[in-house]
Amino acid sequence: MTLLNSAQKGKTTPEMEQVAAKEGVAPEFIRQGVAEGTIVIPRNINRSNIIPMGIGTGLRTKVSASVGMYGRDAEIGTEIRKVKAALEAGTDSIMDLSVSGDIDSMRRETLATAPTPVGTLPLYQAIAEAADKHGSSVNMTVEDLFEVIERQATDGVDFLALHCGTTMSVVERAKREGRIDPLVSYGGSHLIGWMIYNQKENPLYEHYDRVLEIARRHGATISLADGMRPGCLADSLDGAQVEELVILGELVRRAREAGVQVMVKGPGHVPLNQIEATVRLQKSLCKGAPYFVFGPVVTDIAAGYDHISAAIGGALAAWTGAEFICYVTAAEHIGLPDVDQVREGVVAARIAAHAADLAKGMPGAAEWDLQLSRARKELDWEKQIALAIDPKRAGLLRKERTGDSSSACAMCGKYCAMEVVSRYLGSAKQGC
Amino acid sequence: MTQLSKARAGKITAEMEMVAARENLDVEFIRDGVASGRIVIPKNIKRKEFNCCGIGQGLRIKVNALIGTSSDRDNIEVEARKLAIAQEAGCDGVMDLSTGGNIDGMRRQTLAQAGVPVGTVPIYQCGIEAIEKRGSVVAMTDEDMFAAVEKQAAQGVDFMAIHCALNFDVIKRLKATGRVTDVVSRGGAFLTGWMLHNNKENPLYEQFDRLLKILKAYDVTLSLGDAIRPGSTADSLDGAQLQGLIIAGELVARAQAAGVQVMVEGPGHVPMHHVKTTMLLQKNLCQGAPYFILGTLATDVAPGYDHITSAIGGAIAGAAGADFICYVTPAEHLGLPSEQDVKDGVMAARVAAHAADLARGNKQAWAKDMQIARARVALDLDRQIALAIDPGKVKAALGSGSGDHCCAVCGSDCAAQVAAKYFGIA
Repeated sequence: MTLLNSAQKGKTTPEMEQVAAKEGVAPEFIRQGVAEGTIVIPRNINRSNIIPMGIGTGLRTKVSASVGMYGRDAEIGTEIRKVKAALEAGTDSIMDLSVSGDIDSMRRETLATAPTPVGTLPLYQAIAEAADKHGSSVNMTVEDLFEVIERQATDGVDFLALHCGTTMSVVERAKREGRIDPLVSYGGSHLIGWMIYNQKENPLYEHYDRVLEIARRHGATISLADGMRPGCLADSLDGAQVEELVILGELVRRAREAGVQVMVKGPGHVPLNQIEATVRLQKSLCKGAPYFVFGPVVTDIAAGYDHISAAIGGALAAWTGAEFICYVTAAEHIGLPDVDQVREGVVAARIAAHAADLAKGMPGAAEWDLQLSRARKELDWEKQIALAIDPKRAGLLRKERTGDSSSACAMCGKYCAMEVVSRYLGSAKQGC
Repeated sequence: MTQLSKARAGKITAEMEMVAARENLDVEFIRDGVASGRIVIPKNIKRKEFNCCGIGQGLRIKVNALIGTSSDRDNIEVEARKLAIAQEAGCDGVMDLSTGGNIDGMRRQTLAQAGVPVGTVPIYQCGIEAIEKRGSVVAMTDEDMFAAVEKQAAQGVDFMAIHCALNFDVIKRLKATGRVTDVVSRGGAFLTGWMLHNNKENPLYEQFDRLLKILKAYDVTLSLGDAIRPGSTADSLDGAQLQGLIIAGELVARAQAAGVQVMVEGPGHVPMHHVKTTMLLQKNLCQGAPYFILGTLATDVAPGYDHITSAIGGAIAGAAGADFICYVTPAEHLGLPSEQDVKDGVMAARVAAHAADLARGNKQAWAKDMQIARARVALDLDRQIALAIDPGKVKAALGSGSGDHCCAVCGSDCAAQVAAKYFGIA
């Protein structure tokens, strides 16, 4: 029985209770959310070392960090260091998106290292193995693909990202309407190439019941990936993206009917003024299924600063209803992230998530701000740093930019505004 | 005559022409904006030629950087380097907020080296001189305050943050509200202390006409300082802040009537769901005067990353009507920014401003994104570098030349390549 089956039957599982305790809500709230599909708890039955985590309506916004081997120089050791850095920075989930090397070992190592839900994109491995076995990814067989999905689910992957909605009709629309950048998603591009080369419908769509059967058997959550996520602002909310979202809505319904937990993956590059509409469309078409958004980045020109661009978009997306933010690192569009960029990417996404939780009035969010601001007013540096979203970094910067000499900070030095005014307002010693 | 009085008289100035050309807009649009007070062009008549920028409705959102010495760190060579870095990173304006060492010398250096409008906060120097010469900030005199403004105006400062919209009504509200972080503006704090100690109304409010006369003589743009900006998300949109904004609105009308260009400074720490309301209130209460905002910081909990909390708030604020974004650096709340912090702060604010320009439908902004999207599809690395917000950073990461649509896995016979051919972009 999957968690969805249990919830639908009115049964509150230990996972639901643990999520409820962490979020400070009633277990019944979680059970109901899971039953309705507005909350998912990605947890493969073969996983033993996982702390259950819930994603969805009424819960704290979660963030995910992606790692994975890409290219000749990739090493499992380096990628696991990134996993650890992401966990230390407070990520709620890890995706292993390896496309080359010893993908099986990398995945197993990730599953063993992370106590969070772990997601993968099985198509990547299927492509890599097809290239090895048949000389090219276009020669991948449908059996090859499903064998990889089965293998990854058996290993204990908690959520499987699959491009089930990228149908031939969607691909043709993208061509017809002159999409500026039709090849954004790595998996999507290969899948589309396969479909065109073989003149066949997307096997993940055609054999969707088989996808669901594997997921159900292992208790894996499906993350419906989008082959048509906008890769530039001009492509946002075009016909291809929206048609794919309509199809994903249908697939959400079928997953729920099969007792499989499901969430939907989305944007991409989205102008600020289209974020709310994008989230509303997803919520409406996908019947409240959790929305897992990449970024979104809010401009195409910020290469080198896309973690900032994504923090802007992610904050707005989460505020308007997206529940799960996939981080974007400063290396996006220009290379692969190093360990430091991974850490920074996670923190940027967490800032966005918290800003959204604050704006939504999530219980506890405003309390965190208040505690830190009170510590600031009291010039209690130890407390300010302990409460900071990244205490290590805050402590380091204070040391470097001020030193230990000042009771205030080097910005104002002995003219600390708050010290001045508090003398006359008769309030406690304050800080800015 | 100021830009404002000339615009009202129907005269188009060289500064308006320059702004129109840079924004690719009709100069009459600029003149009309300046005449109505919706656009300001900060430029002191004593200042040498520089790249004028217009700030206000219908224009690209501008970004301001802050530099300056403090009592703890007063090396003016370091500050000169920060100025150069901020300009290279693309700031549109810079404020010299020096409070340590040779403040006059620092300001002269900034004015000489800046190719953008320069702003200051005269009350800083005034307060610090009072502390040094007479032992306390409360020993400032009215005359000191106006003399500081006059001196800095004569040196060529283009815009001045002056906390005129602080009076006893505001302080009364402040005491009644029970704020978490009370007064976080340094200038606001100096004046609040002065008013409470001396039991006297704020001279910059009470003798506002005297101030306007000085500013008018040099065409200094008045930036109404926000003494009461929220220093924590809990304090956003409280009674004290709104009282200050109402008074600022009254002063905007008086400045405009006197022919003085004026903009309004604002928040601060603002939760995202307060941003739009804050912008609407300012535009409404201040007759559409340009809004110059710090951040806004979308949360209090991220010291070390406040350039990012500010990019979030700044983008939303810009989309909702803010015209001028003051950067916040990663060092905010922790210390004085380093050179790298200055660069990171300008870049983060520019990302926010550009995202807001796109949301506002700015044509130049959309053209830029479209160009880079096409360069990405064409795998044209040189164009991607040239068009990026920070070409140097992208070049260091990407190298140059061009590539193909094959990925690292399959080599030339790749499904992605098949897809690229199908879409006609191989």
